[in-house]
Parts: sequence; C-alpha cells; structure tokens
Amino acid sequence: MSSSEQTVDNMAAGSVHKVIFEHQGVFIQLSSDEEAIEQDLLISGSLQVIDKDGEILVEYRPLEDTVDLSNILCAGKDSSSVMGCTQGPGDRSHQLLETQQSYETEWDMVNAVSFKKRPCTNGEGSLNHSHERSRWAFTFSVSDLRSITVKEEGWAFLICKLKDSSTPLPVLHFHQGGSREFLDSLRRFALLTECPDDGTCLLVSTPNKALSQSFENLLDDNSFGLVHKFRKDPYVTTLGGFSKVTNYIFDALRGTEEQHQRPPEEVADLLGEVIPGLEINQQEEPGFEVITRIDLGARPQVMRREPLSAEDWTKHQDPEGRMVNVSHLKQVIFKGGLCHAVRKEAWKFLLGCFPWDSTLEERKALQRTKTDEYFRMKLQWKSVSEEQERRNSRLRDYRSLIEKDVNRTDRTNRFYEGIDNPSLVLLHDILMTYCMFDFDLGYVQGMSDLLSPILYVMENEVDAFWCFVSFMDQMHQNFEEQMQGMKTQLIQLSTLLRLLDLAFWNYLEAQDSGYLYFCFRWLLIRFKRELSFHDVLRLWEVMWTGLPCHNFHLLVCCAILDSEKQKIMEENYGFSEILKHINELSMKLDIEEILQKAEGICLQIRSCKDLPHSVSAILGFGTEVSGSNPTDCESAAAPRATQQQDACSNRHLRETSSHNSCKVAFRL
Amino acid sequence: FLGIHMEKKKTSLLKVILLGDGGVGKSSIMNRYVTNKFDAQLFHTIGVEFLNKDLEVDGRQVTLQIWDTAGQERFRSLRTPFYRGSDCCLLTFSVDDNQSFLNLGNWKKEFIYYADVKEPEKFPFVILGNKLDVVERQVSTEEAQQWCQENGDYPYYETSAKDAINVAVAFEEAVRRVLAIDERTDHFIPTDTVKLHRKPRSAATCCS
Repeated sequence: MSSSEQTVDNMAAGSVHKVIFEHQGVFIQLSSDEEAIEQDLLISGSLQVIDKDGEILVEYRPLEDTVDLSNILCAGKDSSSVMGCTQGPGDRSHQLLETQQSYETEWDMVNAVSFKKRPCTNGEGSLNHSHERSRWAFTFSVSDLRSITVKEEGWAFLICKLKDSSTPLPVLHFHQGGSREFLDSLRRFALLTECPDDGTCLLVSTPNKALSQSFENLLDDNSFGLVHKFRKDPYVTTLGGFSKVTNYIFDALRGTEEQHQRPPEEVADLLGEVIPGLEINQQEEPGFEVITRIDLGARPQVMRREPLSAEDWTKHQDPEGRMVNVSHLKQVIFKGGLCHAVRKEAWKFLLGCFPWDSTLEERKALQRTKTDEYFRMKLQWKSVSEEQERRNSRLRDYRSLIEKDVNRTDRTNRFYEGIDNPSLVLLHDILMTYCMFDFDLGYVQGMSDLLSPILYVMENEVDAFWCFVSFMDQMHQNFEEQMQGMKTQLIQLSTLLRLLDLAFWNYLEAQDSGYLYFCFRWLLIRFKRELSFHDVLRLWEVMWTGLPCHNFHLLVCCAILDSEKQKIMEENYGFSEILKHINELSMKLDIEEILQKAEGICLQIRSCKDLPHSVSAILGFGTEVSGSNPTDCESAAAPRATQQQDACSNRHLRETSSHNSCKVAFRL
Repeated sequence: FLGIHMEKKKTSLLKVILLGDGGVGKSSIMNRYVTNKFDAQLFHTIGVEFLNKDLEVDGRQVTLQIWDTAGQERFRSLRTPFYRGSDCCLLTFSVDDNQSFLNLGNWKKEFIYYADVKEPEKFPFVILGNKLDVVERQVSTEEAQQWCQENGDYPYYETSAKDAINVAVAFEEAVRRVLAIDERTDHFIPTDTVKLHRKPRSAATCCS
C-alpha cells in the first residue's frame, strides 16, 4: 500500500484535536429579546481555538462545560501522540502561546477594569442545567468567518460575523483580557486585514499558514491536506493556498512521478476543479486577491552616491572634536558609505561606542576606562588554570569552539591568512573576552563572522572588542538559546514580502518555504557570508546609520529576493532547490545595486497610504517623531550605557512594535 | 518528495545527513566526496546546506542528497526540521577530539527523535571517525569499534577528508545499507502493487 493511501486512512479514521489557544473568562451577553427576564445576563465561558484534523475551529463553551474541554486540552498538551500527527515534535504551539502571554503585562489596563461576575445561583434556573447551558456553546470554523469587529469600552469585545450572515454569533466580551492573544492565534491561520471603510473591522481570509509555520513542522507534507480542503471548499482554500494547488497541478501535468502517487481519477477530478483557477491565477483576477492586495504604486528609482571622504568627515567636527550636523552626516553615510580611511574612527560613532557630541578629551578618557575594563576581563579567562577549566565545562566548550572557528573565519582574507597569523590570536582573544563579558551567551557560531570585519577595520584589540560589544547588542537575540531574534525577523520578513509580492509569497508558501528558512544565514550574520568582504563593510556602515527606516536589513532581503524570484518561479524550484539557489548566491551579489533597490522599496512602502499597521511597526514608520527616546536602553549593562539610540534601535523597535500591533486591534 | 525510491533501474534519490559536533569535519567530508577537494580554510557552516552526488552501487543508479548542518547545540531548532525523510545518517566525530566521540550517543538520540524514525534499531547509521591525518589521537580505533558494536552494530570508518581516505567507501556503504533495507521491505509487499512506492519513511506519513 502506498503511503499516500495510508494518509487517507488515517485522516478518515483518527481524529486529531489540538488546542491552539484557550482563554477563560470570556463572556457572552444574552440579548434582551431572547432572555427577557435577565436583560443583561452574562455567561462566562472559555474560548478555544482548536485544530481539528487540520480544520481550525473556534469554540465557545459556557463555564461548567469547560471542565470536559480542559481535559482535552491537557491531553493535547501532554501527549505528543495526540497532537503528533500533524505537528511533529510538539511543543511549538505552547511556546508560541507563552510568548503571546508574555505580552500580558501590556494588558494591565484592560485587566484592571473591575468586573463583577454575576453569581450563578440556583434561583436563576435554566442556566444550571448543563443541556441548557450548552445551548450557549457554539463552534464555527475559521474558514467560515467573514469578519471580526473589534470594539473597546474599557474592555475589549469582538463581534464575529460568519460568511453565512443568517446565523449571528453572540458578542464575545473579554473582561479578563485575552482578546489580542485570541486574534493573534487566529492570525496564525487566517489573514486579518482591516476593512477599508471601517478600521475596527478585520476581514478574515484563510488559509494562511506561513506566519505560524514552525521550524519543527516545516517538512510536513501538507499538500494532501490542502487538496483535501480544496475539494471541500475550493473558494476559501483558493484564497491563501492557491499557488499550492496550481503548483501541484503543474507537477502533475509535467508528470514528475516522485511527488505524487495519486490515483488517476483523483488527479482528473482535481484538474477539473482547478483549471478555471489556473486562469485566475495567471490573470490575477482581482476578485481573489482583493483582500490582501494593497496597491503600492511604482517603486521610485534612487541613486547611490560617493563614499564620505576623510575631508568631509573632518568638516563635520567642531574644534573640540564634537561631531556636528550629525543627521546630515548619517544621511551622507547612508547614501554612499565611508571611504576606508574614515572607517576606523567613524564606526565607533556609528556603533555607539562614542557619543556623537563627545569632545576629543572626553573620548580619550572613555578610551582609558574602556581599555582598563577590557584587560580586566581578558585577565579573567587568561588566569584560569587547567585544573579550573577541567571543572568548567562551559568555558571549555566555548574555548574549544572558538579555537576551531577562528581557524575557519575569513582565512582567504589577507588580514587573516597564513599559519600563525597574529590577527587570529586577536580574534580568539576578543571572542574569549566576550565570553567573560557575557558568559550567559558565551560564544555562538556566527559571532566570529561578526567580529572579523570589525577587527579588520579597527586593527586594535580594545577598540574592536567594544565595537563588537555594540554590534552584539543589536544582534544578541539572534544568538540566544531560543533564537527568538531569528524567529521574529523571519516573521517580519514574511510580513513584508507578502505586502510587496503576494504572488511570490504564495509561491514560496506552496513550496513549504513560506517561513523563509533559506534567509537564515543572511539574517543571523547580516549577509556576512553573502557578500565580498568589502561589500560587507559597506552594507554594515549603511545599516548602522539607522536610516532610512527601522529594520532596513529586512528590505535588503526583500531586494535580493525580488531579483531572484523570477528565476525561482520560472524554474519551478521546490523546497530544497530554493534553499540551494539562495545558498549559492553567496559572493555573487552586487551591494550597490541591492542597496539602491532596498531604498527604493522603502520609499515605495512609505508612500503607501493604507499601510497595514504590522508593516509600519516593523519599519518604524510613524514612531520616528514621538518614539525616539531611547529609554529602552536602560536595561543595557553599564558598558553599553554610552550607546546612542541607533545602536539600540533594534531593541527599541521590539518595544514599539509590540505596542503598535496592539493598536492594530484596539486602535479605537 | 525526497528520498523517493522508484522502479528498479531508475535513479533513486537518497537523503543522507551528516551529524556531529562542530569542527569534526562534516563539511569537509561532504566536499571531499562530492567535489574531491579539500579546503583547510573552509568556513564553518551556518544554517543548512546540501550537495547532490550521483553514483552507481551494485548496478543501481543513486542520487545522494547529502545534508550538512551547523553542529553547535544552539542551532538545534534550526537543524532538526531537516532530519525528516533521511534515509541514512552519518554520525561523525573527530579522532583527535574525545568529546566529539562521547557526544555520538547524543547525536544519535537527537536524530532518532526529530527524524521520527519508526524503527530506530533498524535505521542505517554509519559512524565516521574523521581527521585520521592528525597525529595526536584521542580516540582509539578499538574504542570506536566497540561503541559501534554496542550501539547497534554500525559500520565504522576512519576517514580523512584532507587525505581522501575512506570517504567514498563510507558513503557507498551507507547507500548499500539503505538499499539492503529496501530489498527486505520489498519482499513484504505483494509484487503486483510494486510499481512506484515510497520507501518506508516518515516525511509524508506521520501517523501510520
């Protein structure tokens, strides 16, 4: 029996529930005409989002009924056998939930609204009989959902409307918070876009898996599930998963046997259903994409300029050595970068090691303390005896990997080439000292790539160390245990790409590549392996200006993908071919061309009037004026206190973006 | 869609994955095998890469898709999704690094867990002790052989990617092991249904 048949059997036989979201204390209000006696009778209950055999359901159960459901929840959480079928190693959803819950503090305002729950006494009769209570339970499929209207009156309440408007749903009152988390959980499976006429109304379209695609399940073969859904509900499935189907059909037509072992009649059926769709896809009939398509307008052509010369740099200094007209200076650096002679000094400002308004004297004093501090930390690992190290496995592991990686970093660059090159010792010592500076993080592969260009420019151990520390402040999250920085960036990139190029985004989705894994190396070490050494220097100094928007490096990704999408789609690359193609772009990219395009994309997005808030939040549009006070840097360790705000921009943005996405739901 | 085994005489695509501590030489082994080159200055791997290699083993055409990953613990969540659908796993250590040898068991466990292997005791692992060219060994041949014997009677090869010793042999053995399992499976399938079938693997069907 072929394995695809097995899948059919299993899908038919076993029923798999997975609770994606659960929130207690959601209230429904019984409307007065139904319950004339109790005019504003409120029922408390639990709201869940459930993955039932791949169908996403929203389920509301009044309080007493939730006991049973919580059992289901436990089973779903604890037993991987229950949820293992579709998700693989299964703690991802909990992690997601946990991150969502970590936003909870922002909801103090909502939660603080006192709300007195109406006691449910026997005297109130009918509601205590479980069958009566369960009268108020309801379930609907996310794919049947037309829109959700978000209102707030001290607490948030949501009005869900189904496509079939004849069955109105009770209003959901989130007296105990959780509405945003609920919407977030839906966003994992559906696209919620603001209705053009009414900002409080979110239009729902499904399916949309990319943003939720965890790394764990990225290889799950879900094309069957899609076809299954498509047959059930071609219209809804078409919206999000369209290219998935067309791609499947293209494969079937080309007769690539590997991919599908379906009975001929099934393929024939499917063809019959899909062929009209094929036309629609090719012609991009607006009816199908109207919800997500935003007209971005033409992309402006921009010009790059010459690098800033040493002379121009000096002109921006006052007699005491303070940098003046800094915003103009940054603009020039953004447009053309720096000539190499200026880098050694200018990078310290760009990275925030030196305040722009410090005098030469102040900088000399700073340099002295920083030098002392560096050597104090260096001495710490230098003075660890063999005995001690034997009992310190973490230090041992850091050292062992640093030794290995230093010998494998930029060895073809003249600065690092040859045996016993002193630069290698510096690279090693700085990384070891960084372990002392931040022992929790220690050394993670990729960090030597970030240090190497900095050391090359600084040609000085202490300066290179502190510049590296500043750069690591921006990159820290990429390397942390949970790699949250990477996950956040991949999601943000996906959001941007979907706005810029829905067709390509859909294509990637259809190839199980919507989570953009192939951009991992780009993001982890900021294109260090993709560009020639000197282009890396150029890109990094341009990025460090913090112009022209937050997260400009994500637009750099978009610019590169924009240049590659034609090849990828024309060649009909699949999952592994896309990965291979992107990996092989390394050292073939032209940085000036990419920067030009990325800036054009930034201007193009900025001039768009109906920009989704998620996008403005990522790029920091609308936060530049009011939100530029770098108080978020307070948490930085003492040596980081001298940093300027642009070195903090990432951390800062994370703050503002969570506030902003909060506004998406509760702007009014 | 990976690792599809089709009618005999046609090319089979086999997915092989190289696992082991950072710096044991996974990328060098892959490059030696596929391009027959060795570059001591090669970067350490960030993320995931793969190369294809066509070969013929015992009269059968095979395309090997060799996956190479970043070895550091931290990158686990980014590497493990690629385990699924593997037909064979090459567990690699370096003979001059005892710790990398001690970690073999962890790599095996990680692979079995994330690759969702149905019958771990039957899964074809091949063990490679690389850097045979290095003078100062920390792991003896006997130790390594003993581990292989005790952990599932795995074939063991001492390789040198640098000096091109035993690399091709090890990959060919890996292919033989995979094909041998196929043969056995074939016998259990009524002959009239065997035209095109997936090898018993997990990427597409996860609840059989």
